[in-house]
Amino acid sequence: MKLIRKQAQATPSSDAAKRGSAFDRRTFLKRSGITASGAAVAGSLPLGMMRRRADAQTDSAPADGDVEVKRTVCSHCSVGCGAIAHVQNGVWVQQEPDFESPLNMGAHCAKGASLRYHGLSDKRVRYPMKLVDGQWKRLSWEQAVEEIGDQFLKIREESGPDSVWWCGSSKANNEGAYLQRKFAAFWGTNNIDHQARICHSTTVAGVANTWGYGAMTNSYNDMHNCKAMLFIGSNAAEAHPVAMHHILRGKENGAKMIVVDPRLTRTAAHADQYMRLRPGSDVAFIWGLLWHIFENGWEDSEYISQRVYGLDKIREEVANWDPATCEEVTGVPEEEMRQAAQTLAENRPGTIVWCMGGTQHHIGNNNTRAYCVLQLALGNIGKSGGGANIFRGHDNVQGATDVGPNCQTLPGYYGLADGAWKHWARVWDVDYDWLKARFDSEGEYDSGDGTLAHPMNIPGIPVSRWIDGILEDPESLSQRNNIRAVFFQGHAVNSQTRGPEMKNAVEKLDLVVISDPYPTHLAVMSERKNGVYLLPTSTQFEQTGSVTASNRSIQWREKVIDPMYESKPDAAILHLFARKFGFADEMFKHISVDDSGMPSPEDTLREINRGHWTIGYTGQSPERLKLHAEHRHTFDTTTLVARGGPCDGETYGLPWPCWGTPEMKHPGTHVLYDNSKPVSEGGLTFRARFGTEHDGNNILAEGAYSKNSDIEDGYPEFSYGLLRRLGWHQELSADELATIAWVAGLREKPTGSASEQDVAEFRDLESDALDAVNWKTDLSGGIQRVAIAHECAPFGNAKARAIVWTFPDQVPLHREPLYTARYDLVSKYPTMEDRQSIWRVPTRYASIQDTDHSGDYPLVFTSGRLVEYEGGGEETRSMKWLAELQQDMFVEINPADANDRGIKDNQWVWLEGPEGGHIKIRAMITDRVGRGVVWTPYHFGGWYQGKDLVDRYPKGSEPYVRGEACNTATTYGYDPVTLMQETKSTLCQIKAA
Amino acid sequence: MARMKFLCDADRCIECNGCVTACKNANEVPWGVNRRRVVTLNDGLPGEKSISVACMHCTDAPCAAVCPVDCFYTTDDGIVLHDKDLCIGCGYCFYACPFGAPQFPKTEAFGVRGKMDKCTFCAGGPGEDGTEEEFEKYGANRIAEGKLPACAEMCATKALLAGDGDMVADIYRERVMRRGGRPQTWGWSKAYGAG
Amino acid sequence: MRSRIPHILLLTAGALLLTACYESSDVTRHEPGVYKGEADPLAKKLENDGELREQLNQRFDGQRDR
Repeated sequence: MKLIRKQAQATPSSDAAKRGSAFDRRTFLKRSGITASGAAVAGSLPLGMMRRRADAQTDSAPADGDVEVKRTVCSHCSVGCGAIAHVQNGVWVQQEPDFESPLNMGAHCAKGASLRYHGLSDKRVRYPMKLVDGQWKRLSWEQAVEEIGDQFLKIREESGPDSVWWCGSSKANNEGAYLQRKFAAFWGTNNIDHQARICHSTTVAGVANTWGYGAMTNSYNDMHNCKAMLFIGSNAAEAHPVAMHHILRGKENGAKMIVVDPRLTRTAAHADQYMRLRPGSDVAFIWGLLWHIFENGWEDSEYISQRVYGLDKIREEVANWDPATCEEVTGVPEEEMRQAAQTLAENRPGTIVWCMGGTQHHIGNNNTRAYCVLQLALGNIGKSGGGANIFRGHDNVQGATDVGPNCQTLPGYYGLADGAWKHWARVWDVDYDWLKARFDSEGEYDSGDGTLAHPMNIPGIPVSRWIDGILEDPESLSQRNNIRAVFFQGHAVNSQTRGPEMKNAVEKLDLVVISDPYPTHLAVMSERKNGVYLLPTSTQFEQTGSVTASNRSIQWREKVIDPMYESKPDAAILHLFARKFGFADEMFKHISVDDSGMPSPEDTLREINRGHWTIGYTGQSPERLKLHAEHRHTFDTTTLVARGGPCDGETYGLPWPCWGTPEMKHPGTHVLYDNSKPVSEGGLTFRARFGTEHDGNNILAEGAYSKNSDIEDGYPEFSYGLLRRLGWHQELSADELATIAWVAGLREKPTGSASEQDVAEFRDLESDALDAVNWKTDLSGGIQRVAIAHECAPFGNAKARAIVWTFPDQVPLHREPLYTARYDLVSKYPTMEDRQSIWRVPTRYASIQDTDHSGDYPLVFTSGRLVEYEGGGEETRSMKWLAELQQDMFVEINPADANDRGIKDNQWVWLEGPEGGHIKIRAMITDRVGRGVVWTPYHFGGWYQGKDLVDRYPKGSEPYVRGEACNTATTYGYDPVTLMQETKSTLCQIKAA
Repeated sequence: MARMKFLCDADRCIECNGCVTACKNANEVPWGVNRRRVVTLNDGLPGEKSISVACMHCTDAPCAAVCPVDCFYTTDDGIVLHDKDLCIGCGYCFYACPFGAPQFPKTEAFGVRGKMDKCTFCAGGPGEDGTEEEFEKYGANRIAEGKLPACAEMCATKALLAGDGDMVADIYRERVMRRGGRPQTWGWSKAYGAG
Repeated sequence: MRSRIPHILLLTAGALLLTACYESSDVTRHEPGVYKGEADPLAKKLENDGELREQLNQRFDGQRDR
């Protein structure tokens, strides 16, 4: 019998599909993948057991076997993908797509489609532990809190409250993140920070200082409306995969897609035009584009004259960036630049998207402001289909930035001035002087500009620099002593630069406390034998709370399963320590704590609502968010507006600003600064944040205002004084006026409802104190309500500013990276002078750039994301379904550079940075990177300079996949405005291992 | 009658591997077994394209044609399934399949996923539907629950579609028409010169 | 005789050669055998169960762009 298939035609494409190409990443990984880590887990758990897995179960789970359906939100990026969990007997048995979510419509990337593994993970920290003579020893929670608490109190006694450094998390819910910041304030320090520092801090600072708020202006969904899309330093296909659903829909609708990146990324693979940029030359690139725009008169002159200030100064700088100069610095030829500029000019509105590729530079704030200026010149901001679509990273990094642990500000961007502390003291219902007494009162320190200030008013040491708080000579620090202990709650230190110095710093500490679901790289990276504590902490699937997506929409996340093993949610752990330190009653005065020790997320959110007037986090009550979750199918997937149903006319997740009180029913603001709509329907102007004039020029808007505005021109931010001048103050209710008078210090705090008689004395009072109460400090929301009743923006109506006179470079300038391969350009584009103190630590620039390293370290080294992992990767590398797909740390190197070094594909190599850190990884030879540039992912950890640290993990908790942290080899470099670290442009050399 | 089909729209696929982990999640596929995988052509080069591949549930399934023990069957909806109790793990189907779909778990022959394992279109296997036994041998039976394969349902960009072939084709045709109306001002050849 | 044998050989060889070059459309095809395993109730269910069919069709809407 002759056997042939009935239809024997393997098509060429399917044949090729089967083979793949020689160097595709999967093939590469498959070849390298059957390693010890793979073998170790193959067939580890019988399948049925995984579904029934019982060892993590707790008693409170219903045992009747009914399937409960929970609605949660993915915790792996900022898109905010909804997910449905089926829970049976307390075990997460099935995951279903949430087709009804208007943000993801059921879609998930590799991480989102693996969420259920969070409920199966056997790699978790199961109970409190401490390291004793190199061995992990089990503790009870009571013991752990007592021991850690006593040591912290001793350090506080000896060295002051600033000697403990706290790290919060972008992965905490809004409630957890808010309590992290509040906790540090009650402990008495500003030494608290979180991932946003090394994520988008330069965006927040740059963008907020340009037009008011430091956030994504539009939304992923709004990209359906774009006519052009410019991606610079964003690889959405790997970092925000579900965003690509919206992006590709926009492209299918006709948008032109341009990708600018040193690598030909998976996002670039979908672009109409790709331009390869030299790392660290973003400002030069943008000015090069603007050169063509100005040259051809493509700017939007009317928009600029009405809504933009300071563009003339930009023109002067842009004139220096003729096509030849631009190509010399960026590597992009004139014709490509002109084509891109023309595409942007002819296809408006267009959006710009940027991520870490733009922000993580020592001139990150210059980059982000240059991006803004480009969009302002094109008239693209404040328009649907336009905007600055800044994709944030972690699931709640936007929320944690808004309400959470930041070293330079209290929640809500109020800053650290006395007025800010007094505002929060009122919200928290605690005595301001008591709060102040919690801080170090031994002295005043350099606040950064040479003047002395109280520690309460000096920004703390940020997450990028905590190691310098340990290593620097205390005389050089703007605080009493070095940092002696650290408390990390939900942060991966391997995402920070200068690994070897970090190792030294960790070894110098008295105490390291890690509150995390997983042990993290921090637990194993040092030679410490004692003084490390692990506190098992729940994931977001084991607690309830709200989470803010990149587009500012806030979603309610239901608890899926009870805390696994002995873990506790962040907020519950903070409560334990607050009790130990004796300030729990004050801190949780208006937040109920249940029998399990969990502070109520609803109460916490209501407190957030009561305090966050600056950014309109005031209207999103838990009740409204839950209603949105329940009726999410009623929201349009492009406009995000509900059509009919109980949320009719509101925008999904009430994206901030959602002005006024919840009772005011503001619908949220989908597109920031869109003056084609009334403020009451989500319209806005540019914020009047920088005064009313500069150098004698009016900087309020001219002839531009939001629809139906009663003031048809620019106006400053609203205060009681402005209301009074307009005669609108009489519209305030008696209750509102009573609260305003209290805030002004003119009467006692109102209790109960106020009558007209109660406030009669203030109705026509002319008082500076009363006049000074404004839309940010008025706890009644009355000033916002009245402004919006007149369709005015509470924050005023100004021009966006193209120059920022409070920043080191007023006009964003190109400056060569501290470690540059083009040392010949340093003389023309040098970095800044060293600074004695930025936020308590000395910061070096010129003294580093003085040395030319490009001879010994000729390769430009940059880093980025893989779709399978998130951040430092401890969590995702511990999830089997993901770990299997990426089993080795590697470096992408161009074939020419590999051949020059005799390196073959998949070979082990040493990558060494100019500060001496070196990592042993595999070479992946690919044209994805250009000649002279190498790239690594940054999600790996658990190795150090060639050594697998597997033995240092608590037994059984080592992640499935471990590898060198790329940041062991990265170098010094910080943005002067936010202390963002430089990870995207340094140098290295590679040689065969 | 409807025929169940997969289709992967290469213009939408971003190689995010969501389909791969969705499959692992729904079916609890062990480490080393890939019922579905994403294949990338020209990786890192201009013109890079990805497509998600699994058992295509062929109308005239070559695997079934060559199986010496006749363990394959096709449902009335065109889903190709097999009986693992009958399968001898000879690998003949692996030769025959143009997509490399059949997988051979590395653990012992009578390991948790039998001798040969492959995509079931989330339709389980023979025997009673929705039982623990069916799950352990074949994975989920979403079809019996009125649901479609998890990979397509969770696809990040809705590139991977699964369901009644006519309905899948309708969506794809609509997309192709929309893209056809999209003027291309720039192409790879222009961006990269002659290459 | 001597001359006929090569002739026959030649013819035979020629025929064999031709056979080798020719891919017959009439070869024995392997028809899938009759499935010998356990029955799957789902195999026929979709045909008879209009409700399940309808449910699957509705479910498919989740894969649309919406």
